[in-house]
Amino acid sequence: MNIFFLIIGMGMCALVLLCLYRVTFGPNVLNRAAGLSAVGTKTLIILLLMGVIYDRVEMFVDISMVYALLNFLGTLVLAKYIKQSGEVECQL
Amino acid sequence: MIRESQDVIVKTLARLLVPFIVIYALYVVMHGHHSPGGGFQGGVILAASFVLLAISQGLDKIRQRLSEKTAGILSSLGVLIYAGIGLLCLLLGGKYLDYGKLSKLLPVEPAQARSLGILGVEIGVALAVMAVMCLIVFTIFSFDEDSGGDE
Amino acid sequence: MEVTLLVEATENAFRILGDARKHAEGIIDSALELTSEETRHHEAKRIQEIFTGAQKRKTAFQNFIGTAVILYAFWVLLSGQFDAFHLTLGAICCIVVAYLYHDLLFANTRVGDMRVVAWRFITYIPWLMVQILMSNLHVASLVLRRKMPINPQVLTFKTKLETDISCVALANSITLTPGTITMDIRDGVFYVHALSKKVADELQTGAMEDRVAHIFMEADHLYVQDVLDAANIYAALRT
Repeated sequence: MNIFFLIIGMGMCALVLLCLYRVTFGPNVLNRAAGLSAVGTKTLIILLLMGVIYDRVEMFVDISMVYALLNFLGTLVLAKYIKQSGEVECQL
Repeated sequence: MIRESQDVIVKTLARLLVPFIVIYALYVVMHGHHSPGGGFQGGVILAASFVLLAISQGLDKIRQRLSEKTAGILSSLGVLIYAGIGLLCLLLGGKYLDYGKLSKLLPVEPAQARSLGILGVEIGVALAVMAVMCLIVFTIFSFDEDSGGDE
Repeated sequence: MEVTLLVEATENAFRILGDARKHAEGIIDSALELTSEETRHHEAKRIQEIFTGAQKRKTAFQNFIGTAVILYAFWVLLSGQFDAFHLTLGAICCIVVAYLYHDLLFANTRVGDMRVVAWRFITYIPWLMVQILMSNLHVASLVLRRKMPINPQVLTFKTKLETDISCVALANSITLTPGTITMDIRDGVFYVHALSKKVADELQTGAMEDRVAHIFMEADHLYVQDVLDAANIYAALRT
């Protein structure tokens, strides 16, 4: 069963690399922000998988909750900053 | 200067989430001796709850809850708690932060006294970190307050 | 002659004095009335203020108790240690936090329907899970095909939901369902980004909105769920 979770974790790492491509070469600052948020979500799942592999789920659940909170807050602050700096036109 | 958010989703979710975030931060502080976390991490999460409130409700309402003066006092109080417990151990005949000597004051075993001493130190660290983080964030958020602001 | 003049003059003087006295009495009376009215009004206002203050304090106290209970349940769930020391620490923390934040959790809720709302919300979650699973499969099949037949579009629709919390619940349900993302809510108009036409059509039937409205008991609308509930009763009566 550990091998199964290990393979899933490696697949998640590959997906993180894909999102990292968008963060690095994103044509727009909004693309970068969305990519960063996706990287954070995938890191959270990798942390949980590590918890399952090391048999310390209760510890890694705490860490991943903090990670989810800080990811959410970081995206929110980034969005607010982008909106206030006026770098991108927010049209709706 | 951060003003009140116009977004219904952000406002409502921040309102509902903040008490739980604060309780989670206190859990991280209080259970620091047998799970990951401790004073610094708990203090950072506490400060994060204030940042979330500042984004959703504006900086003025946060200043009513935690003014900059109170934050300064709290940061000094945190350092005082940390140094006070350390010096108390020194006065009781041990080394600095040698919590086992606290059992002379408290009606518990030395092992439990160590646990309580670590808890006290962590509360001090959390208070100091929370207050200093809030001060930094308030200062950054209100950078264009005096010049009138452009938005 | 002079005597009559003198008498007249004195009578005049007395009359003027009498008039003045009457006038002064009138003024004093009206002043008394005014002041008493003022004081009575003031008293009534003060009593009113005391009552409203008491009521406010009562609701604040109820909010405080509710917040403390919910936060304590959360603490026990997190902590998982049931010795007296940790439970007492949790109680102290919850009371302090509930005292500081008693106005956040229960801002502008209607009283007395919380249990029904909670129960309906719990029964809503499995339906949402099924929805998420279905559209997950749909989006996966769209993306994994070679031609990628996607058709991104922004929908706008006016919602009939009234309270903030139900709007937020609907927006988060839409965002949780793969293929659709709520971008903004402005004055009751939802701006939703949809990945394909099928997802957009599913959203515009309004089934999710009906269910969310049913959870939060938004009044004076007829909902699909209510009709379905009534149909069962009607069928039972007919047989």
